[in-house]
Amino acid sequence: MKRIALLILSALLFVSCRTLPAINSALPQAAQKSLTCPSPFLKEPYRLVHGIETRMAGDTAGAIIGITVADPATRFVSCAIMTAEGMVLFEADAQAVLKVKRALPPFDSNDFAQNMINDIKLIFFAPEGKIKARGILADGARVCRYQEENGEWIDVAERQPEGIEIKKYSSYGNLKRQIKLNRTAENPYQNIELQAKELFDYSLLMTLIEAEPLEGELKTEKAKGDEE
Amino acid sequence: MKKKFSIFLILLLFCLLPSGANADNFEQMRKDAANIKTVQSRFTQKKQMKILSRPLVSEGRFYYSAPDSFRWEYIKPLKSIVISYKGETKRFIMSGGKMVEDKSGGVQAMRIVLSEVVNWMSGKFDQNPSFKASIKEGTITEITLIPVGKDMAGMIQKIEISVVKKSMAVKSVKIIESENAATIIDFRDVEINKTINETVFQDIE
Repeated sequence: MKRIALLILSALLFVSCRTLPAINSALPQAAQKSLTCPSPFLKEPYRLVHGIETRMAGDTAGAIIGITVADPATRFVSCAIMTAEGMVLFEADAQAVLKVKRALPPFDSNDFAQNMINDIKLIFFAPEGKIKARGILADGARVCRYQEENGEWIDVAERQPEGIEIKKYSSYGNLKRQIKLNRTAENPYQNIELQAKELFDYSLLMTLIEAEPLEGELKTEKAKGDEE
Repeated sequence: MKKKFSIFLILLLFCLLPSGANADNFEQMRKDAANIKTVQSRFTQKKQMKILSRPLVSEGRFYYSAPDSFRWEYIKPLKSIVISYKGETKRFIMSGGKMVEDKSGGVQAMRIVLSEVVNWMSGKFDQNPSFKASIKEGTITEITLIPVGKDMAGMIQKIEISVVKKSMAVKSVKIIESENAATIIDFRDVEINKTINETVFQDIE
């Protein structure tokens, strides 16, 4: 009976995400369960500063500096974008609610702020959804597939020696984001490449400038913020 | 964004000015500035923000040659260069290990900046209606600019420029954006009226 239920579930899964890459289900069930999911995500609060090169249609469009404070336990994110000259273009906080503190054009649309926070969470936080499948992709990558509450799919795959790849698909299986973490021994976030599939596709090449853990400091900052 | 970016760059380029610290007033500074033909210096920029536990430090250098050539260059952490020569302004950024021209709106902004820079090179510190300027004489002369228009509302609260009276060299510029954010630029190795090769303003190498 269990096998039939599993078969039906697999069939439904296959139909609902027919454009998602196939995960090798030939692995024995025990082997699937024991397969460890790649997890490059933050384990503690961190501040990261990246140089970010933006590209549209393959051409370099600009270079900015991105500052991210992220706490995986509370999923709190604080972020800022500024020019090399030090001009702050965008600043926002998000936990349950998105709070934009500063947004100069073209960074002043609600969509931009929400997409940016979503991208930061996708890069730095483990998916919130449940694991729906795990196994091996056709190219040999070890992968875990999550489904979020809103129906979106997230694949976290690891290839050797390339590194980790995170892909987000719509609930219909359309690729929305592709993130490559070219990990080094020092920090998995040393080099990040994000490709966004939107009305106008774009990509971000992020190079780590500095990173520091902030366990105590973030609690103090948040307490101050709550008091304000 | 272009307009605000322009204003911000204008404020940065304000640092180019050796301000004639021996001047008793702005009129005297205008006269002193007329003798300035070239300026070159290294600088350290410290960005303070609430989101940063310690300032984000950038290093760079700048060159100016009268009447309107300049080079504003960041060496680290993010390489970028703005050069302006004979009315043409270009911005370059690091991409794939080499410097490429920035095709975004920043270049257009620099054209607006340039006309303001020329004014300041003429020592017209107190003639920009966007700022109320005041001066405090001492071993270190301090010029304070406070925005009066709406253009910089919520963007700049105050600018403080310190000049070493003896050497007439700009020591630092502090752009206070809000209670929690400021950009501080400290200058060193300032050289005035030393010959600068014209290729500095034409070649990004």
